[in-house]
Amino acid sequence: MIGSIPLADVLLVSGALFCIGLCGALLRRNAIQIFLSIELMMNAANLAGLGYGAALASREGQIIVFFVIAIAAAEASVGLAIFVALFRHTETIDVNKVNLLKW
Amino acid sequence: MERLIFDIAAGVAILFAGTMVVARNPVRSVLSLVVAFFALAICYVLLLSPFIAAIQVIVYAGAILVLFLFVLMLLNVGPEPWEKTGRPIQTFLGSITILLFAAVLLGTLRGSGGRIPSPAPPDGAGIDDPAALARFLFSDYLLHFEAVSVLLLAALVGSFVLARREKRP
Repeated sequence: MIGSIPLADVLLVSGALFCIGLCGALLRRNAIQIFLSIELMMNAANLAGLGYGAALASREGQIIVFFVIAIAAAEASVGLAIFVALFRHTETIDVNKVNLLKW
Repeated sequence: MERLIFDIAAGVAILFAGTMVVARNPVRSVLSLVVAFFALAICYVLLLSPFIAAIQVIVYAGAILVLFLFVLMLLNVGPEPWEKTGRPIQTFLGSITILLFAAVLLGTLRGSGGRIPSPAPPDGAGIDDPAALARFLFSDYLLHFEAVSVLLLAALVGSFVLARREKRP
């Protein structure tokens, strides 16, 4: 319990968001939408971390989420640079049409 | 009251996350995710983490998603067309995988979390105090913090090299 919020509720919301993100990552074809879905899955994991941190009255949860957000920023910049480079080569970011690692 | 606000914010987050996945237009997708991240920031405040909520709004919704929007506009990506993907088996297997995973994960989480012992009183300041969090971060986790700063520098250089226009001879 955090205040009046049961931890099980937080974990359920986190699991639901993770499944929605997984759905997007597996079924979409646009590379940017797949990437957005992965960001959503990362946020679901953050929510679970903060929920446990608050329920155990520990600051470690917030520290871990802080580092996750910093690394997500690095990952987003590199990933989007890869998409820009990919688009220059193939004129598309549809992942079904990209089947060569080197051109 | 807290419970009600949490439930509403979580519902908004899940609703807009669903909109993000089903939207055909990528710009609409990004904007739905902005709303979902704002709702998640409200949840973070209720989970005693106001500093992380501020980071969520400033870094995630403010910087990362604007970067996505910028790249989307730069590449001029249109809506995904309603065409046959030509891979019906993969789509079918993907759907089955998601359903099984969701059933297992939600089934496990539904019964968990109840047996956690009631929290011990934190030493001095509460866990939602940003100043105490900063003292903790810059003493016990200083090395990790510096490692992340090096990682961010590497990502900066790497993305510059990747997105640079090559000079073809």
